[in-house]
Amino acid sequence: MKHSLSRGRFVAATAGAAAVTVGGGPYVIAAPTKEITLGLNVPQSGDYSDQGQDQLRAYNLAIDEINAKGGIMGMHVKTSVGDDQTKAPVARDNAQRMIERDGAVMITGGSSTGTALAVSALCQQKGVIFMATLTHGDETTNQQCHKHTFRRYNDAYMSAQSLARTLVTKYGTGKWFHITADYAWGHSVYDNITAVVEPKGAKTIKNALTPFPGTKDFAPFLQQAQAAKPDVLVITEFGADMVNCVNQAAQFGLTKSCKILVPLVDEYMAKGAKDNFDNVVSTAPWYWEYHASKYPGAKRFVDAFAAKYPGLRPSNGAECAYADIYVYKMAVEKAGTIDAAKVISALEGAKFQFTKEQEWYRPQDHQGVNSCLVLEGVPESQRGPGGFAFARVLEVHPGESVVQPLAGLSCKMEPA
Amino acid sequence: MAALFQALLGGLVLGLIYVAIAVGLTIIFGTLRLVNFAHGAFYAIGAYVGLVVAERVDLVAGLIAAPIAVALFAFALDRLVLRRFYDKDATAQLLLTFGIALVVEESLRLIFGATTLQYPVPDALKGSAFIGPIEYPAYRLLFAAGVIVLLILVWLFIERTNYGLIVRAGIRDRIMVQLLGGNIRRASSVVFALGGAIAGLVGAAASPIYSVDPSTGFAFLVPSFVVVVVGGLGSFWGAVLGGLLIGELQSITGLVFPPASNVVIYLCMALILLFRPQGLLGESEVIRQS
Repeated sequence: MKHSLSRGRFVAATAGAAAVTVGGGPYVIAAPTKEITLGLNVPQSGDYSDQGQDQLRAYNLAIDEINAKGGIMGMHVKTSVGDDQTKAPVARDNAQRMIERDGAVMITGGSSTGTALAVSALCQQKGVIFMATLTHGDETTNQQCHKHTFRRYNDAYMSAQSLARTLVTKYGTGKWFHITADYAWGHSVYDNITAVVEPKGAKTIKNALTPFPGTKDFAPFLQQAQAAKPDVLVITEFGADMVNCVNQAAQFGLTKSCKILVPLVDEYMAKGAKDNFDNVVSTAPWYWEYHASKYPGAKRFVDAFAAKYPGLRPSNGAECAYADIYVYKMAVEKAGTIDAAKVISALEGAKFQFTKEQEWYRPQDHQGVNSCLVLEGVPESQRGPGGFAFARVLEVHPGESVVQPLAGLSCKMEPA
Repeated sequence: MAALFQALLGGLVLGLIYVAIAVGLTIIFGTLRLVNFAHGAFYAIGAYVGLVVAERVDLVAGLIAAPIAVALFAFALDRLVLRRFYDKDATAQLLLTFGIALVVEESLRLIFGATTLQYPVPDALKGSAFIGPIEYPAYRLLFAAGVIVLLILVWLFIERTNYGLIVRAGIRDRIMVQLLGGNIRRASSVVFALGGAIAGLVGAAASPIYSVDPSTGFAFLVPSFVVVVVGGLGSFWGAVLGGLLIGELQSITGLVFPPASNVVIYLCMALILLFRPQGLLGESEVIRQS
C-alpha cells in the first residue's frame, strides 16, 4: 500500500523535476504534493464505446467542477485516461500503467464485467482503490469481490429481482429463448433471470451463447430462435451488440412474433435500436428524466451535463461515473487522507446522496445499495430531442429490497 | 432440418459479403501485388458515406454516392501515396496500408464519434420473404441478390475488358505484361479504385443489416483476408469459393457449437496453409513471384 503510494509520488516528482529542467521555475517541484491522479479506464473503441465515451464526459464534468472548487482536500485532480477496448488484458495493462507510471491513486471506469474483474484483481494486488462503474455481472462484488473494489451500479441479481413481477405479468410463463453474450456478465444475467422465472413455470428452451467480443451477425442465433418459436426472446447483449442483435431480430420478424426482453439497457442502446425497443422491458440503475424530476442533485447534474455537452443527456453509466468521483472525494475528505486502507474504511457503510436517493456501500461485499428501475421503451417519435427520453418508468425498487441477501453471498473479502 | 436450411441460407448471405470484400482484395493483390490492409477502411468509409447520404436523401442515393466517394478516395490514395511504395518490399506496403487503415478509423471517430450508427431497413423491404417453410428477412435476400449481380459485373470486367485482360495477365506474370507494353500502372489505379468502390458499395448496402462504428472496417477486413488465403491469392473464383465456404462454416458452427463460430474460420485457414498453401484455387506461381 504505502509502497505504491510513495512510488506514485516518486514518479510524479520525477515528472516535476523534468519540467524544471525543461524550463519551469524551481517552485514546480512543490506541485506534485498538491495533485492527485485518478485513472479513467473506459472503452473508447469497440462494441461498448458509446458507454465508455459517455462515462468519460461525466468524469470530465465532475473533475472540472471539483477542480473549480479547490479540488479534493485542496489537491488538484489530474487524470490518466486509457481506452480499454472492452478487452480484459488491455484494461489490466491500462490500469497498471496508470498506477505505476502516472501514480494514479484510484482507478475507475469500465463497461464490462470482463474488464472489471481483471482491473479489480490488479488493483487489489497494487493496493489501489477501484471504483468500478458499468459492470452488472454478480461476480464483481460476489464471487470475485475484493477489498479495494467498490461497485455502485446494480448487479444482475438486482435486475432479475426487480424484473420478477413484470416478467410474470407481462411476459408470462411460456417458452423462453435466450441469446446471451458468452462471458461473465451474460452468464450472470442468464443465471439470475432463469432463477427468477423458471420456478414460476417459464420453460427455458435454449440459451444460445454468442462469442464475445466480435459478433456482428446474430443471424445464426436469431434463426434458431425463429425456428424454436418462443414466447419470449431474452437478448442479453450490451452496447453495439445489443443494437445489432435487436435490430436484426426485427428483420427476422422476432419483435412481432414474440416478446423481447433486454435485461439491461442504457440511452445509447435504446437510441440505436430505435422503434425496435418500443415496448421492450428492461432495467437500469438510473434514468436522467426520472431522477432529474425527483432529486435536485440529479437535476443539477443533468443540467450541467447538457450545458457542457449541448444536445446530450447523461446515460446511466455516465451518472455512475459522475457519482463515483464525488463518492471518492467524500471518502477521502472523511478519511483525511488518500491512504487506500483509510479511504476504504470511510467508504464502507457510509451513507451519501448525490444523484439519486440516499445510498451506501455494503461493507461485506462493497456492493452499492441503491434503487433499480424497471423501464419500458417508448416509440421513437415520443422520445423528445436527441431521442434520450427513451422509456417510461414502470417500477422503482429500493436497493434493500432487491440486493442479494448477505446469506447468499460467496464473497470472501480480504482482511483490511 | 429447417434449422440447418436456415443456417445454410444465413451462411450464404454472410459469405456473399465476405466474397464481395475479398474479390476487391484479391484483384488488387493480383494486379498491384499489394496486400491492402486499408481495404476494411474502404468498407467503413462506404458505410458512413452511404449512411449520411441515405439519411438526407434515401438509401438508393446512398448506394450511388458510397462507391463513387470510395473510388475517388482510393484513386487519390493510389496516385498520391501507394505509387511510391510499389517497388518497396511487402513489409513496407503492409505497414503503410495498415497505417492508412488506422488513420481512416481515427478520422471517422473524430468526425462521427464512437457512436454505433445504423440506417433502418426501408419500409418497403421491412417484411420477410418465404422460401418454402423458411421465413427470411427480405432485405437480406435482396442484398444477397445484389451482391451476386455485382460479382457478375466484376467478373465481366475482368474477363471482357482490356483492363481486365491486363489484370488477368498481371496476375499471371507482371513483368511480361510490362515487357509487352501493357500499362499496368494505369490499370493499377483503376483496379485499386474499383476494388475500393466494391467494398464501399457493400459497406453502404450492408448498413441496414450491420451497425456501423469506426472500427467496423477491421471487423470485416480480417475474415476477408482469411477468405482470400483460403480461396487463393489473386483468384476471383477462389475468393468466391473461399467466401461462401467461410460464411457457411461460420453459420453452421453457430448452429452446432456457437462458442467456436468465430474461431472456426482461423482453424480453416490454418489447415489450408498447412496442406494447400496456395489456397483452394490459387496458382502456386503467384506465391513464388510475390
